[in-house]
Amino acid sequence: MDIRPTIQLAAVIKAMQDIVLPAVDPGNKMAQEQARLAIATLQFVVQRLPLMFRYDRDELDRYLGLARALLTRSEGGRATGEAAANLATSVAAGADVLKRAKAEPAELEGAIFELRQTVGELIQSAYGDARPASLAAIRRLVLDSSKVQLDRERGWVLTMGFEPNPSVVTPVEQQLQNR
Amino acid sequence: MTRVSKVPIDKNRPSPEWIESLRRRFPIEPEIDRVLTRKLTLRAGGSYSPIGLDALSKSLQALLEAKVEGAFEILDPTWLSGGASKLQMRFKLSWNRPGIGRILTDMVVRMEPAESIVETSRLREFQLLSALDGVLPVPPTFWADPYGDYFPYPAIIYGFVEGVVKPTGAVSNVSGLGINFGSPVRALLAPQFVGHLAKLHLWDWGKKMEGSAFATPSLGTQPTEWQLNWWARVWEEDGNEDVPLLRLALAWLRENMPSTDRLSMIHGDYRAGNFLYTEHESRISAWLDWELAHLGDRHEDLAFASMRVLGHFAEDGKTFLVNGMMPAEAFFEAYEKASGLTVEIKKIKYFHVFYAFRAAVLLLGTGYRAVRGGKTHQDLVLAWIMALGYSIQEELREILEEVA
Repeated sequence: MDIRPTIQLAAVIKAMQDIVLPAVDPGNKMAQEQARLAIATLQFVVQRLPLMFRYDRDELDRYLGLARALLTRSEGGRATGEAAANLATSVAAGADVLKRAKAEPAELEGAIFELRQTVGELIQSAYGDARPASLAAIRRLVLDSSKVQLDRERGWVLTMGFEPNPSVVTPVEQQLQNR
Repeated sequence: MTRVSKVPIDKNRPSPEWIESLRRRFPIEPEIDRVLTRKLTLRAGGSYSPIGLDALSKSLQALLEAKVEGAFEILDPTWLSGGASKLQMRFKLSWNRPGIGRILTDMVVRMEPAESIVETSRLREFQLLSALDGVLPVPPTFWADPYGDYFPYPAIIYGFVEGVVKPTGAVSNVSGLGINFGSPVRALLAPQFVGHLAKLHLWDWGKKMEGSAFATPSLGTQPTEWQLNWWARVWEEDGNEDVPLLRLALAWLRENMPSTDRLSMIHGDYRAGNFLYTEHESRISAWLDWELAHLGDRHEDLAFASMRVLGHFAEDGKTFLVNGMMPAEAFFEAYEKASGLTVEIKKIKYFHVFYAFRAAVLLLGTGYRAVRGGKTHQDLVLAWIMALGYSIQEELREILEEVA
């Protein structure tokens, strides 16, 4: 899926800088200031978005470290005991999440990119020298998987208004529920 | 098994070796090869920077000084909106027009950005518009700057033509597709829409296009093969992530190329939105956007004009009107009657696959690459219309389910 915030934000910033900002009334100081702040904010988002997941994972890791250290030092009355027990439960839950959050979003994207390419190369090669039955099976698999893929992609961009009949497309939030 | 390691290709900074390999892999018309090669060669050179009316007027001044005899004056330059691919500036020229004398002429500069959603030749566009004068309603041509000698990028200058692309006040989405003219206007435009297409396809282009930048393919499969090579090459040049459905479509298209029995001039983007019409008499006053024109099979234009994405339902909610004009069967029948040429539905379906493939290449491949490099004057529009690429792929998938 190529319609991603990184590319969309770059286009928004360019439009703001090249077209919108020069057209903002120079006498309207608040509009001038907010147009520039909007650009600066978007530029900040572009810088930080790729780091967001890593930042959160690092923070979770550090909080788990702090929490474990606190648990070894938390001794006292009933209130401290109850709070420590609660903290231990949170540590267990957080540790489980951290365990499942090993790969970076960029790695995930990269793995999809490579699989798309090698799948594409197989299709191209199959049209060159695959056995007829094999080619028919490959064609069937690609068409079937394309249906599912396009359902996802059309659901992703549904609110942009390009579907001639939007009611036949399931919103992506529903498609990705429980995935 | 050892995996063959490949050197990753940086499409944002294409190497000369990679460019040469693409040129070898995809034989196409020399002029198309020139513009695509130029695009790749210049790609690493940076993004598009806004060009103001003053700067554009200065370029125009330089061109006119070289081309126009006597004193002249450029008046009232303004931007023209419309289209997602080229910049257009309207102006008036006070000049001594050869054979006429002192006159004020309304004109348009049409210039490329650094890269465009569709990379094409201003030279071809200029030559064809000039050749079609008197054949179809087209804007009159004046001068061309096909290599960007005067303007920052290649440009042409043609006459301004009065007219609208859609009814005044009508709302359409940013893509400009699926225009609804309304029933009374539709009844007047539809016969012209068909008649002009028939006229174009019957046009005897031979002498007029002699020595032009249009190459002539042989009859048979070569016209289609050149088109496949063109758009397969563009996908290789611009596409980001691979799309299995597009690979499948291309392989199928190569395996099933139809035989062309007659070479016609093909508009390549024949649709509502690419013609102007006068609102007071609903007369088509000019056909625009000839940049995708080439010599090929008439079924190409017929298929493109009848793509689902370009049409809409009539007021009854049941009858689908191709290009907002008429039902597909009536469109093909009217064309056969107007041209005396046959329409083969199998070929129409083939070119439906081709055009859905081409649209996906343009929207998701070139659109993506242009935005990624900040290459146009309206990247935001391109980033928005990329989304249309998915519903077009769905159309492609459905047609392939039927024919493949």
